[in-house]
Amino acid sequence: MNPEIKHIGPKLTEISWPIWMVGDLLMKRIQVESSIQKKFSNEILETRAGYQTICIHWKEKPENEVLSKFLNQVQNISKTPEFNVWEIPVCYDPTFGKDLKAVSETKSMQIQEIIGLHSESSYQLNFYGFLPGFMYLSGLNPLLTHPRKAVPDRIIEAGSVAIGGNQTGIYPHDSPGGWHVIGKTPTPFFDPFCDPPVWAKPGDQIRFTPITMAEYDRMSAHPKFPKAK
Amino acid sequence: MIKDWTFAKILATGPGTSIRDLGRLGYAQYGVPLSGPADLQAFLWNNHLLQNNENDAQLELSQPGFKIQFLAPTLISISGALSKVKLNNKLINNTGLQEINFEDILEIGNIESGSIVYIGVKHGFQSEQILKSRSQLKGITKTFQIAKGDEVPYFTNQEIPQFNRLSQVKWNSRYLSEELVRVFPGPEWNLLTPHIQEFLLGQSFHISTMKNSMAVQLEELIPNEIPGIASAPVFPGTIQLTSGGKLLCLLQDAQVTGGYPRILQVMEDDLRILAQKKPGQKLRFLLVKN
Repeated sequence: MNPEIKHIGPKLTEISWPIWMVGDLLMKRIQVESSIQKKFSNEILETRAGYQTICIHWKEKPENEVLSKFLNQVQNISKTPEFNVWEIPVCYDPTFGKDLKAVSETKSMQIQEIIGLHSESSYQLNFYGFLPGFMYLSGLNPLLTHPRKAVPDRIIEAGSVAIGGNQTGIYPHDSPGGWHVIGKTPTPFFDPFCDPPVWAKPGDQIRFTPITMAEYDRMSAHPKFPKAK
Repeated sequence: MIKDWTFAKILATGPGTSIRDLGRLGYAQYGVPLSGPADLQAFLWNNHLLQNNENDAQLELSQPGFKIQFLAPTLISISGALSKVKLNNKLINNTGLQEINFEDILEIGNIESGSIVYIGVKHGFQSEQILKSRSQLKGITKTFQIAKGDEVPYFTNQEIPQFNRLSQVKWNSRYLSEELVRVFPGPEWNLLTPHIQEFLLGQSFHISTMKNSMAVQLEELIPNEIPGIASAPVFPGTIQLTSGGKLLCLLQDAQVTGGYPRILQVMEDDLRILAQKKPGQKLRFLLVKN
């Protein structure tokens, strides 16, 4: 499955696949992205990624054929990149999970069932976007899919764990948002005083571990980046 | 050469004044916006005249009624939009180099052409650097804009610098009244019907009041039949077509990914035309083939 190459002016080139590059395919996308970064390190300013795409921001774009030839070669390499597993504590108490009740009513599911399904899955970090440190995660149980709010909330607090459409995510900063908040984590997801300002990388797996209110209070008194398992 | 710390005191400012450098290139992978200058050429011109490094930090402002007092001598440069500029209450050239003496007060009055003014200083403003940039942004730097009473550090040589006024190149401000913005087809351009493509390129668009450092929304609606896309990379200059049919042109503080179709990409050189427009002003798009 070869990706399509689209040139957008002399500074941007987008490489896109016809399907979402999640699961095993994410490893392919990550591999292609890092090979491009290595091969064209002098010509590239930076790359950005999405579910089906990698976009290259060029300092100086090479000949179109050079890039397409390189992409063909890269397709045949199959080395799985290394990734980490992270356990993230989440307090699903309704004090934090402000929308848990409404979600449970519309979906006719017990709150415990929602928490169970949300915390038993393993999620894959695809890329960062939307807000600094916001993870685009795949792997939400289809039973938990829930359309976004028609009218977004003015403020969703930093640390809120939420569901929107077929995605789940953590708000790293206070922000307006249209997702349904089901819990809160004491773990910081972005620290501008650290470089890099995040602790996980695309390809890593995120798991949520339910914690009590007391544990949340204890952990949030000393917020720190987690350690990989 | 003497290089002592000193401060510039902000005596008055409207909202939206901020410190800018070339931004946080390389941090988009963590979801961090670029936060470069809105008008890159104006920014680079100041640093060029001042013989600074091209990344040296400047003030970016878009509201009249800005007043700043420099506590010690330096050389400054002004570019971008054309405004009424006063030094110690006397009108001076509104662009180009200007020597500054102890406790001089510089004032930016009515902005007559364009909307964003840059004030550069010799060696650059020395505010805090977070993730390799001084550009202010919510969630990254402690404060996201400059406020009255702030003291912005810079270096002084303790004497008024000399420069040759006659050899100065004049700031070319013609782009401030330009209405044609050159664009490339974006990744989702071909999802539009030829009829809608033609319609979009044939008409003028007005800048709406929804304009900030993240994006500018255009007034006129485009009939939209393209669904949202899987979240994909966006850049300053990306023009998105929202589900309601509005065109959203992303600017320097825009998020790094988006879910609206990306129908056009403004040519890097022309992004300043759009960024300098005020609400109510109009523009047209000229499609340039890849």
